[in-house]
Amino acid sequence: MYNKLEYSSNNSNSQCSHNFNEKLGDYDKKFAVVNPTRMCQPMGAIQAMMGVKNAMPLIHGSQGCATYMRFQLIRHFREPIEVASTSLSEKTVIYGGEPNLLKALKNISEKQNPSMICVMSSCLTDTIGDDIAGIIEKFQDANIGIDLPEMVPISTPSYAGSHVEGYDKAILSLVEHFGIFSVPNSKINLIMGDLSPANVMEIKNLMNDLGCESIILTDTSKNLDAPLDEETLELHKYGTTMEELKDTPNSKATIALSKHVDSAGKYLECNFNVKSISGPLPVGIKNTDEFVNNICNVMGIDVPDSVERDRGRLKDVLVDAHAYNYRKKVAIYGDPDVVIAMARMVSEMGMLPEVLCVGVESPRFKEDVNELVNDINYQPVVLENKDLYDLEQVLSVNKVDLLIGNAYGASIAKKENIPLFRIGFPIFDRIGSQRISFLGYNGGIKFVDAITNMILDNYYDAEGYKIVEEEFSLDLVDEELS
Amino acid sequence: MEQENSSTEPIIKTFKSREKHMCIKRGNLSLPECDTPGIPGTVTQRTCVFGGARIVLMPITDALHLVHGPIGCASCTWDIRGSKSSDSKLYKQGCSSDLKEKDIIFGGERKLYDSIIELHKLHDPGAIFVYATCVSGVIGDDIKSVCNEAERITSCRVIPVQSEGFQDHNKTKGHWIGCDALIDSVIGTSEMGVEDATPFDINILGEFNVAGDLWGIKPLLEYLGLNIISAITGDSKVEEIAKSHHAKLNIVQCQKSSNYLAKKMEKKYGIPSLKVNFFGIESTITSITEIVEFFDHEEMKIKANNLIENGLKNLDEKLREYKQRLNGKTVALYVGGNKAWSLVRAFEELGMNVIMSGTKNGIKEDYENIRDVVKEGTLIVDDANSTELMRLLKKYKPNLLISGAKEKYIALKLGVSFCDFNHDRISAFAGFKGFLEFAKEVDAAVSTSVWNIVKTELRQKSIKEDIHV
Repeated sequence: MYNKLEYSSNNSNSQCSHNFNEKLGDYDKKFAVVNPTRMCQPMGAIQAMMGVKNAMPLIHGSQGCATYMRFQLIRHFREPIEVASTSLSEKTVIYGGEPNLLKALKNISEKQNPSMICVMSSCLTDTIGDDIAGIIEKFQDANIGIDLPEMVPISTPSYAGSHVEGYDKAILSLVEHFGIFSVPNSKINLIMGDLSPANVMEIKNLMNDLGCESIILTDTSKNLDAPLDEETLELHKYGTTMEELKDTPNSKATIALSKHVDSAGKYLECNFNVKSISGPLPVGIKNTDEFVNNICNVMGIDVPDSVERDRGRLKDVLVDAHAYNYRKKVAIYGDPDVVIAMARMVSEMGMLPEVLCVGVESPRFKEDVNELVNDINYQPVVLENKDLYDLEQVLSVNKVDLLIGNAYGASIAKKENIPLFRIGFPIFDRIGSQRISFLGYNGGIKFVDAITNMILDNYYDAEGYKIVEEEFSLDLVDEELS
Repeated sequence: MEQENSSTEPIIKTFKSREKHMCIKRGNLSLPECDTPGIPGTVTQRTCVFGGARIVLMPITDALHLVHGPIGCASCTWDIRGSKSSDSKLYKQGCSSDLKEKDIIFGGERKLYDSIIELHKLHDPGAIFVYATCVSGVIGDDIKSVCNEAERITSCRVIPVQSEGFQDHNKTKGHWIGCDALIDSVIGTSEMGVEDATPFDINILGEFNVAGDLWGIKPLLEYLGLNIISAITGDSKVEEIAKSHHAKLNIVQCQKSSNYLAKKMEKKYGIPSLKVNFFGIESTITSITEIVEFFDHEEMKIKANNLIENGLKNLDEKLREYKQRLNGKTVALYVGGNKAWSLVRAFEELGMNVIMSGTKNGIKEDYENIRDVVKEGTLIVDDANSTELMRLLKKYKPNLLISGAKEKYIALKLGVSFCDFNHDRISAFAGFKGFLEFAKEVDAAVSTSVWNIVKTELRQKSIKEDIHV
């Protein structure tokens, strides 16, 4: 694949640990990340903040952190997005970022007056050792008697973990900061993870159908899919409220839809005895069943007819579509919970999850893969802590029919001449990324429709016949005759 | 009632210290205050020094761009430049040394070294640019010596770019750092064969081939008989830039990012430079004329006349339809730099009025450029944050905003048409043909029937009046 130049300094290529899957192909990359499938912690935390009502996220770091993350979010959601920065410069890096953070807190409090300011650290400020919680306290002490916004510090150093941990930490910080044990309510806390507004909406609708009240952490459904309206330019008018955050320790249970974002659930379980359930992401029949059953068990209710009916409609579309999708091979990349849930969904559709690629390393993902392999009796190629370069190499050896992931896979899809079904973040080359949904039975129906039509577009002709490339031949008969 | 802008009344409601960053042009003394650190706690439209360096160098197509920092610096910024390539796609790869906690404690030099060696093996690039980020700067990684060592081992150019994000509040410094990397480590490192040299060798500086702009300019210059050694950096290869010191003239399109490089090349290699602007008819003609004047060559003069005549042929007729619709419409510019002045005349040629022009990272020189081209009474703005921009748009209600992705939806939500002239631009605007594309694009944004329907209401409005800001 490349000239195998021997570098004296490049020690022991041979003991590279690529042996976990023999279908991996012949390439070797273990140091650099090329075309990443993950982002950094502050990005995940910001996405969580986007679903909180009247909150102002503030990144304590260089201007570029806030600006480039906003850039990615804006081009994905196609909505104006506000993230403030403490605009650190050389001087502040030497003498500490405290003066800038103090000024930022003052300016935001005075000019925007949000309900809360969520201060995220960056790699820079965590390295120089700025004590954000301490600085916030100092600011509050200096302004006693003045009505200030709530201030929540969130430690999100970019060099640890990924956006997934960032989201997790943000929710944990919110719950830790606001949660007050008082009168029990009859709600369920739902931690979403980094999912589209439409997916959040699917879950809200499902909860509505189940007749069950919930606290959504966090609810981006209206903020990031807003009408053409001037109000959108102000602080978010919708989303999870401070009162809801305060109420989280009084709920009946916490369900983290994504397993990787269950720290707040664990915290509430340890401290307030709120039952915590982690995953799986309700995609497809099995996972959604588990989700619905969890809720019904917690609430002591039966599955209502309307939900049963939607489930029946999902089964119906699976059957309607099965002939087109049978044994089509799929490669999926993205966040661990989405990838594994998607893998299960496509196997429910009769397809084969051929390659699974996640940018993070996670024991839970490993467990999930093992469980999936046992259930579907098919071994996918699993790329853990890998990037799109790795995926591209693997796909050049293991051919698939369909790619599922964010917009960055477009060039791989083009190279392999296969369609890309866009889910995840970011999607900047299509419109409507905020309206992509696949959660719950209803989301599943939309997903099966869309995927199957994509398969039909690419692998069937206008009349609906399968496009067959090889010519029909009678080799065998000829042999027998001669 | 609109507020009158007397000298005491601020243009919009904002921080006291920010009021002087906006001014109305009244004579030659009208310059806004600029190049000051951002106010902490605002939603800045500015980026970091790393971003500045990266956008200058990113269009070099056969180079790898390795970001030495945590994953986020690379994953938020890879392949966002919108620069097109006619050949190699290597520059579109997003490479990171992916610094982790362990590397922050023990230093990331070893990992950087391994990453460089590995990337060289995988891709065999024309060069590897290694960018310093905030963290790699703070922990004191010596990327220069790592690059030197890697260059010795690989015999591939490995070029350190000292672009720690926090270095300055203004990404202009990042542009300079990017230019420094070129002047220190690329330009002059390759020789051109004597047989290849002509008296008409030039470089195009500050043309990044966004949406293919360069391809609108190149044919014009080649028709004149000019030999383009390199475009720095649009659709370029490292080898071309390495030979660029042989040029007889540098023409500078984006003066904001690349005047600095032109000055440095003049000092080091004695190459004179000429500021050009291929946006708009008049500017394109002036640019061609000035280049020809520089070479003072008879045949070239005749060709230039042909070129201009040919470029203008039927252009008015083709433009008529767009001009009719656009005549008298107002435009606000809020861009990174160069376009704040280079586009003003082009809009006027469409019959439109530029009522506001501003930049995010302007320095005094930039605002002088703006002041020199805009009409009396035009608003000049420095570093407006998102709230200020919203208030300006609400107050001045332009028919069109020209800006980048971050400002797009602020304008659209307010019902102001928008054209992206930044990284996400979709058509090339340079040269005569480009101008027609420019007119089409502007027309598409302003004249679409969508604006009629979105202004309608379902429910009867109560007596509530539209109140100004």
